[in-house]
Amino acid sequence: MNAEHRPRTAIDHLFFWFMFANGGVITALLMPVHVLVQGILGPLGVVPVVDQHYDTYANVIGNPLVKLYLLVLIGFAFFHFAHRLRYLLADFGVPAAKSLPAQVIFYGGAVVVILVTIWILLTTIPISFG
Amino acid sequence: MPLNWWTRQRHYFLYMLREFTALPMALWLIWLLYEISGLRSGAHGYTPPRSGLFVAFSVVVLLFSLYHSYTFLKLAGVIMRIKVLDRQIPSRVIVFTMFGAWAVASAVIAFVLIWFAR
Amino acid sequence: MADKTITVRAARFDPEHDKEPRLQSYEVPFYDESMVVLDALNHIKNHIDGSLSYRWSCRMGICGSCGMMVNGTPKLTCNAFLRDYWPRPVVVQPLNNFPLIRDLVIDMDDFMHKLKSIKPWIIRKQELPLGAGEHRQTNEQIDDFRQFSECINCMLCYAACPIYGLNEEFLGPAATALARRYNLDSRDEGLKDRLPVVAEAEGIWECSFVGECSVVCPKGVDPAKAIQQTKLDTTMRFVLPYGNRE
Repeated sequence: MNAEHRPRTAIDHLFFWFMFANGGVITALLMPVHVLVQGILGPLGVVPVVDQHYDTYANVIGNPLVKLYLLVLIGFAFFHFAHRLRYLLADFGVPAAKSLPAQVIFYGGAVVVILVTIWILLTTIPISFG
Repeated sequence: MPLNWWTRQRHYFLYMLREFTALPMALWLIWLLYEISGLRSGAHGYTPPRSGLFVAFSVVVLLFSLYHSYTFLKLAGVIMRIKVLDRQIPSRVIVFTMFGAWAVASAVIAFVLIWFAR
Repeated sequence: MADKTITVRAARFDPEHDKEPRLQSYEVPFYDESMVVLDALNHIKNHIDGSLSYRWSCRMGICGSCGMMVNGTPKLTCNAFLRDYWPRPVVVQPLNNFPLIRDLVIDMDDFMHKLKSIKPWIIRKQELPLGAGEHRQTNEQIDDFRQFSECINCMLCYAACPIYGLNEEFLGPAATALARRYNLDSRDEGLKDRLPVVAEAEGIWECSFVGECSVVCPKGVDPAKAIQQTKLDTTMRFVLPYGNRE
């Protein structure tokens, strides 16, 4: 630390952490039930699940509230994942994971997933209020 | 710092496991996006998930996901400082509320996923 | 019982002759159940090998100078009982993550700079005149920060922190906990001086909540909690409207 070094709150890291923390809470609250019901109970036929039939799934996905819900879930989740995996890479002894290019790649990747999500949600089953 | 530092102590290993939960969860959500986009091929083109391989994958993801939920919600209780009438709310009350919210959210989502399947 | 001994394997390092630290074994009489690792080191120094170098002072868990790795875990050697290790040998090594000076003595300059950078004292915009009386605090106001004020600067948390081990620029656990101790003090007005240091890129944001700092702390301080709470507070100051920004 030299004398000219003037410390400053890192707004970028503050933002990343904000997204990471929100994504962490959202995935903690919502992920297990999706995986359990859609990934295990539905395919095994234990209970009827919306995504087991085209009609029921299309009906649900057409709902704008569902689209918004999925965007919030996936959007925050991928910022959370990007943040954790970037720090995990640093923990494995890759200091470059803390560099600016790494930040662009990881958080940029999260932004790309969000854009793809928006595109998929807008182009799959038009919005309907039925 | 030896690069295998996290294998030398149980606590460090559990920490790395907690951080790693992000990867399986990310893969599962990417699968969810893929499944949704499959609706575009219409009533005949859409194939619902039924394979054993996918169930096995989901079981693994569920374990990681539960570990993430447990650790994250528990740690959230440590982090949050909420004062009501100048009194600090004890962290176990916050943790209990978090786990309660988890149960309620899970019940609501499960209800929606099953109810609208009729 | 009089003849009971314990093997102490102490790290030796002479910067003028050695490239790497090596372990040297000593047989130390273990005649009292209340003996601690520091007692064993003092016995070696006084009766077996006077050239062994290590820091110590109060031998009662207050000065924070006798921190070393005991069987791989950072501990105050005055607080590590031999009875917990006997009959297996005790391996005593210098604290992890710090440059080594000699034997069990590490270079603490980096920590001292970091400690100073967060201004660990009460900052007032304007000192109250003596005639105004004492700064009064309620029990609740003291409870806000008391836990974090127990820190004795022993640096065990830095030795336990893999993030500090991987990146020595990281401000680290104790310094952040002490910054929070003063920021939470109702008498203090120095938040705006400390926040930029604490919330720098190499400050709180480096931490990924391993939590081992809080496990090894001999005084029950919870630096991991201090760091995460500071992250949340700092974020809220920017996210909430009319937040009290710098």
